[in-house]
Amino acid sequence: MLKIVPLSGTLCDGSSVRGSKGTEDCRNYSITVFALLFGILPSFGFGQTYGSATNRITVKVQAITVLQISAGIINLSITGSNAIAGQDQMMTTDQTSTLAWGTNSSTKKITVNTSLATPKFTLQLVALNPTVGTAASQVTLSTTAADLLTNIGRSSGTCGLLYTAIALASQGTGTDAHTITFTVATQ
Amino acid sequence: MTFVAVLAFLLSTFGTAQITVNGGNQTMTITTGVAGGQPVSVLNTSCTLSYTRQSKISKITVATSCPGQSFNLSVVATNVTRGNPAPQVSLVNGNPATDLVTNIPNSGTRNSTCTLQFTASSTFSQGNSTELGNDVHTITYTLLAQ
Repeated sequence: MLKIVPLSGTLCDGSSVRGSKGTEDCRNYSITVFALLFGILPSFGFGQTYGSATNRITVKVQAITVLQISAGIINLSITGSNAIAGQDQMMTTDQTSTLAWGTNSSTKKITVNTSLATPKFTLQLVALNPTVGTAASQVTLSTTAADLLTNIGRSSGTCGLLYTAIALASQGTGTDAHTITFTVATQ
Repeated sequence: MTFVAVLAFLLSTFGTAQITVNGGNQTMTITTGVAGGQPVSVLNTSCTLSYTRQSKISKITVATSCPGQSFNLSVVATNVTRGNPAPQVSLVNGNPATDLVTNIPNSGTRNSTCTLQFTASSTFSQGNSTELGNDVHTITYTLLAQ
């Protein structure tokens, strides 16, 4: 039989006590007993949970955009083997390089432009088989950025790059050196 | 006097924290990525847990509250002085508490510690904090009978 000896409180009859040594069978103190047994003590290890602690971890992801070209230098040479008797236009293609990208921003596209303001010959580019996004139609490279891939927002993907160099026999010989820039831009 | 003695005993015995997390709040920032791949994950080992031996074999569970969670966060206990580290736990808002350390003995050394190794990761398709906001996890570690 658990005996509760109150230090202070209210007796059943409403009178106050302090330091009572009596054995009052008081409902108020019965409630205290239950609180101890079923409320406080379990939290001190008599139940399942002994304690808990918390902290806060904030995860921040910056806007990230990355592009990578598989090949640094590409040479397209138009030789006699590209010429057809009776036709002014000669062409050659290169499909050895690929473009990889990653962006976690929405509504993005990839554009392309060349540094060569006045090329003698024509250089065209088209994206092949993009894993994400929509390939634009073939672009004739100029210093003005043109769409290569659209609708790539928040994705990681790759595509092939098909370059086509076109020369006219009437343009004679020469060399065009392009520095080509790919840019992830807001669509 | 009897009551005072019992209360004093309870407070002295159980009044101290049975589990505490040290190292405070942390921010983990993902800043780089791999073209054709994914953003590079970030590790944080600045926080530790201190926990106390109990009368029964016990364990520690972990759970998170992160409304509107966009990115990935996981945790694993390392350098566990007493008990067995559980496999890495993915902290997902709404998931039930999952074991972090198990089989903490009920005898021997009173105080134990472990290091909390957090890994934050994301995919490009999950977006960024500028558009979606940060993930703020309130993580709860609970010491309980196993």
